[in-house]
Amino acid sequence: MAQHGGPQQRIFSPLRTALHRFAFILLIFSAFGLMLLGKADTVLIERIRAASADLVSPVMNIVSRPAASINELTDKIYNLAHLYEENERLRRENQHLLAWQQAARNLSHENARLRDLAGYTSPPALHLVTSRVIADMGGAYAHSVMISAGSRDGVSKGQAVISDEGLVGRVAEAGYQASRVLLITDINSRVPVVVENSRDRAFLSGDNTNRPLLTFLTADAAVAPGDRILTSGHGGAFPPGIPIGVVSSVSENAVRVAPMFRRHQLEYLRVADYDLHGILSNERIQQSQSANNENTVDVSPDIPDGVGIVPATPDPAGEAQ
Amino acid sequence: MKPGVWQRLDIIARGLFPAFSVFVLLLINLLPISVPLLSTASPALALMAVFYWSVNRPDLLTGVTAFLLGLLQDLLMGLPLGVSSLVLLLVQTGSASQGRFFHNKPFSVMWWGFALVAIPALLVQWLLSSALIGALLPIKATLISYVLTAVLFPTVAWVLARAQNSLLRYV
Repeated sequence: MAQHGGPQQRIFSPLRTALHRFAFILLIFSAFGLMLLGKADTVLIERIRAASADLVSPVMNIVSRPAASINELTDKIYNLAHLYEENERLRRENQHLLAWQQAARNLSHENARLRDLAGYTSPPALHLVTSRVIADMGGAYAHSVMISAGSRDGVSKGQAVISDEGLVGRVAEAGYQASRVLLITDINSRVPVVVENSRDRAFLSGDNTNRPLLTFLTADAAVAPGDRILTSGHGGAFPPGIPIGVVSSVSENAVRVAPMFRRHQLEYLRVADYDLHGILSNERIQQSQSANNENTVDVSPDIPDGVGIVPATPDPAGEAQ
Repeated sequence: MKPGVWQRLDIIARGLFPAFSVFVLLLINLLPISVPLLSTASPALALMAVFYWSVNRPDLLTGVTAFLLGLLQDLLMGLPLGVSSLVLLLVQTGSASQGRFFHNKPFSVMWWGFALVAIPALLVQWLLSSALIGALLPIKATLISYVLTAVLFPTVAWVLARAQNSLLRYV
């Protein structure tokens, strides 16, 4: 186009540069607009994020398989090299665990008897969805992974995600066939926890390092390196007693926890539906919002309407007989 | 002679290749790789490709494309929305205007150029992400990410150059 000199070129060339500059400024402003939108309308952004996860999940589902098999191969080579030591270690661990098994059997019998005596109501039944990790979004700014299960499989926002070792994170957005899991090490993650031995309550706050912090710990709390950290179940987001990690360091101003899982080895995760709605579900939020209006709008009692059998009100005379 | 429909479609498809290559690199960035280092800090592959194409073919990877690819990166990686859009847009505009400087120079000049461009790019990303999340993110992960990005650039650039030579010679 540049070959054609002439009046047209003389008019359009500056016009085009002006247009380019205008487009550039417009894009800069829309980037900042997006940042504001991301802060303001979280529900909309969540939906878009879930949709984009759905969009790439078929590709990632296929592509992550060769990556997983390469990982398996390196694992195998490593295992072959360390076969002897590993065997010795497992032998010792097995002896140790057999002793624990005996203890656990005795305790579970005793526990069952005591529960019978005390009329204990058992916690809600657990529904697990197992899924594969298909993407690790990560790096320096966010700690999250994508799993190949979504609302299709019964996964919804806020559910606990656990690995063989313990709690990994929670479902941040659930798409139709894929969801994003926010790891407990992410800077946006807060999990109510309890120290196993001392029963001190605290929050486990991620800070984008591999060692999340214990925050809101009381001043007289007795925490030492090696203490196990479990979910406390407060807030109704997670059930109590899921292992999370071990206290790795205690200093003047920070208690850090080493999570049970190793992020680069996450392969299969289980999404646990404890039938707890948590504080994160949209229904809860809507309920809490509509609760404010309930008194002003809906004052009449529930009267069943329509044709059909109307549930009979209990007859006091009949009961008295 | 007027080009036929298929020929025109072919040209359009080839023209979309730079944007597509950035998308593929984004997906590669997402692959779960069991290397401990890579799970804490990953190389910014999309940044490399955006730099490469805006130096070599700024006509095929425009600012709008860079903006949209950044948006996709933010959506997929769970980053604060708009940050990558801004960074990639700035990198695209900056490198496209300086693109001529790198023409007919040895590859090492372009490598140095990229290493220089990546510093403010990752710094802006770190600062804006920290500001939007509301807490200072650990700078160590960003530093590791920068080193990985700078070291791996020749590999990515080599692949892209091969693709450019074979697919985009006449486009």
